[in-house]
Amino acid sequence: MRRARKGVKAMYLKELTELDGVSGDEGRVRDFIKEKIEGKVDSVKVDVLGNLIAFKKGTKSKRKFLLAAHMDEVGFMVTNVEDDGTLSFAPVGGVDPRVVVGKHVRIKGEIPGVIGYKAIHLQKKDERLASPKYENLRIYIGASSKDEATQKVEIGDYVSFATDFRCENSRATSKAFDDRAGCAVLMEIIDKNERFEDDLYIAFLVQEETGLRGSAVLFEQLQPDLALVIEGTTAGDDPGLPEHQWATHLGDGPAITFMHRGYVVNKKIYESILSVAQKYDIKHQPKRRTAGGTDAARLAKTGGGVPAGVISLPARYIHSPLSVIDMGDFENTVLLVSKILEEGEGFAR
Amino acid sequence: MSLETVSLLKELSGVDGPSGYEDEALKVIEEKIKPYADVLKTSRLNTLIALKRGEGTKKLGIFAHVDEIGFVVAKVEERSFIRLEPIGGIDPKVVLSQRIKIFTKRGVATGVVGFLPPHLQKEDQRGKVPSFDDIFVDVSCSSLGEHVSVGDICVIEGECTELGSKVSGKALDDRAGCAALILAAQELETIKNRADVYFIFSSQEEIAGPGAVSVAYELGLDEAIVVDVTHGNERVPQLPQIKISEGPALAVGPVINREFYKALSDVAKRNGVKIQLEPTPGRSGTDTDEVQITRSGIKTALVSIPLMYMHTPVEVTDPRDIEETARLLALASTI
Repeated sequence: MRRARKGVKAMYLKELTELDGVSGDEGRVRDFIKEKIEGKVDSVKVDVLGNLIAFKKGTKSKRKFLLAAHMDEVGFMVTNVEDDGTLSFAPVGGVDPRVVVGKHVRIKGEIPGVIGYKAIHLQKKDERLASPKYENLRIYIGASSKDEATQKVEIGDYVSFATDFRCENSRATSKAFDDRAGCAVLMEIIDKNERFEDDLYIAFLVQEETGLRGSAVLFEQLQPDLALVIEGTTAGDDPGLPEHQWATHLGDGPAITFMHRGYVVNKKIYESILSVAQKYDIKHQPKRRTAGGTDAARLAKTGGGVPAGVISLPARYIHSPLSVIDMGDFENTVLLVSKILEEGEGFAR
Repeated sequence: MSLETVSLLKELSGVDGPSGYEDEALKVIEEKIKPYADVLKTSRLNTLIALKRGEGTKKLGIFAHVDEIGFVVAKVEERSFIRLEPIGGIDPKVVLSQRIKIFTKRGVATGVVGFLPPHLQKEDQRGKVPSFDDIFVDVSCSSLGEHVSVGDICVIEGECTELGSKVSGKALDDRAGCAALILAAQELETIKNRADVYFIFSSQEEIAGPGAVSVAYELGLDEAIVVDVTHGNERVPQLPQIKISEGPALAVGPVINREFYKALSDVAKRNGVKIQLEPTPGRSGTDTDEVQITRSGIKTALVSIPLMYMHTPVEVTDPRDIEETARLLALASTI
C-alpha cells in the first residue's frame, strides 16, 4: 500500500478533519490548532469572533503579510426536538440535501445519530428520483420521546457528519477538507520554524461558510499589507461534469485563482504566485472556473482593502460527508506557500 | 441477555453478503448456531439448515434470509471511475456520498460515490437524484482501485452503532431475523420443542430468488414461520403503525394460514410475549409468498421485526424486539 510520504502531514489532516467544527462552533478545531502551534510562534491570540491569530516577527518588518485559512466546515443545526424524539435540523452553510440521507452524524461532537429515509418500498415512483427536502428529514438518536431526546440534545446544538479519515494510494478521503486542508498547510508552515522578511500573521478563521464573516474583523486588528488565502476548492474532474467544465484536476498541484465571486485577484499577487511556482518548478494549475468565493473577497472589501491572493487545494465532492484530495497536491501547496514566504519583500512587489 | 443480542447484531450487520454471495455471512451464522443444532447442512443454493430434533410431531421450518442488498460493478471507465448495478431494491438517495466496499480478486477496494458540490451544479440538476445510470464511484483513492473489474460484488460500507438502547447499521434486514433464529435455537436448550425445528438461513431473498423456496421443497415441511423485518415507526395510509420496541408483528392475510397465526398469537398471549398485528391484504413481499405454495402447500406464518429506514445503511432496530421474537419462535415449537 502506498501511503502519503510524510506521516506527520497525514496526522494533522486526520485529526483536523475528524474534529467537528461547523460555522459558529469552531472551538474544538481552534483548541487543537492552538495547542499544536503554541511555542512555535511569537504570539497567539483569539479574537472576539473566535479567529485564532498567530504572529511571527519578520527580519525586516516593513510589511505585514497575512496568511489565512478557515477552520469552519459545513454541517447542521438542531432546529427542533419533535414529540417522537426525532430531531429536525437545518443546514449551516451549503449542504445539498441529496448527500445527507443514510449517514451517521455526531451532535455536539459526541452524541451519535443517523439520518434515515422512508424505505424505498413505501416511496411513490416520482419520489424515488426526487431530491429529499430538509423539512422531511430527521435525525434519530434512539430516543422515543421528546423528554428522552432532550436529556441528550437541545435546540441549537451543532451537527457534523461522522466520517473517518483514510489515506491510500496517495489520496486522502474525509469530510471538511474545505478548509481543514488549508489549516493543515498553515500548521505545516509553522512547523518549518522559519523566519521571513515580512511580519507574518497566520490566521485560522471562523464562519467562512456562512458568508465570509470571520475574515471581516481582521483588518481592524492587523492592517495587513497583503494576504494569501489557502482554500480547499472544488475539483469537478469526475463523470458528473463534461471535461470542459472541470474546475481543477486532482494531482495537478495547487490551483491558483485569478477570479472568484466578488473579487478579481490582485494581478501583481496572481502573477507573483505563478512566477514563484515556475521559479521552483512546483507543479501547479490555474483554477479554470470562477465559481465559489473565499475570504480573499472579504479581505479586499474591508478597511482600505487588502490585496489578497488565493491558492487552493483541489478537492472532489466538497460540502459532502466524503471528499477526496491528492496528497501530492497537499505537499506541493505547502511547498509553494513556503517558497512565497521565503521570497520575502520580493513577493508581489 | 441484552448485551449479547447487541453484540450478535453488530457482528451479523458487519459481515457482508449480497444476494448470491452469502458465504461470509453464512460462515458466521454457522459458527453461532452450531452448539444448538443436531444436524447442520448447506443446500446447493447456499442456504444453511440447522435441525433441532424434537418429538417428531411435525416438521417446522423457521426462515430468515441471510442476503442483503448490494451492487455489482457493471462498467470500469477511464481515470478510475466505475459504475454500479443494484442487487435488490436500493434507493439511489442513500448511495450518494458513501464509501463502497468492492470485493476484487485481490481483496477489498474502497471507493467513494462522488457528488458535485453545489458550486458546480447546474440549475436544472437541482431537485433531482441521479439514477444508477449517472451514479459513479471514484476508486482513485483505493490502493486496489486498478484491480476492480466488471462482475465484482459491492456493498455500501456501514458501521453498526448503538443509539441509546437501539442498534443502527446496514443489513439488519434480515440479519435481525437471523439473530432471532440463533437466539431461539439457544432457548430450545431450556424450552423443550415438540416439533422437529429446522432453522433455515436462506439466500437470495432480496431479489425474490430461490433460496427459501428450494429448501422448503427439499425438507417437506408441515409448517413454516418466515422471520423478516417490517417498516417500523412509519405512517402508511390505511394501516396501523407498527412501532419499534413494541414486539414482533404477526401478519394476517391470504399468504398466512389463519389457524397457524391464531395458534402463534395464543401462545404469545399466554406467555406474555408482546406482539403487534400487521394486516397483509396481498403479497407480503417476503419468502412467505412462495413458501406457502410449495409442494402440496405449507401452513405459513410471518413474524416481522419492526425496523426503521429499511434498505438504508442506517437501519434501526431494538434488540428487545429481537429477543421477544426469539421467545415467540421457541414457544412456537412447543405447539
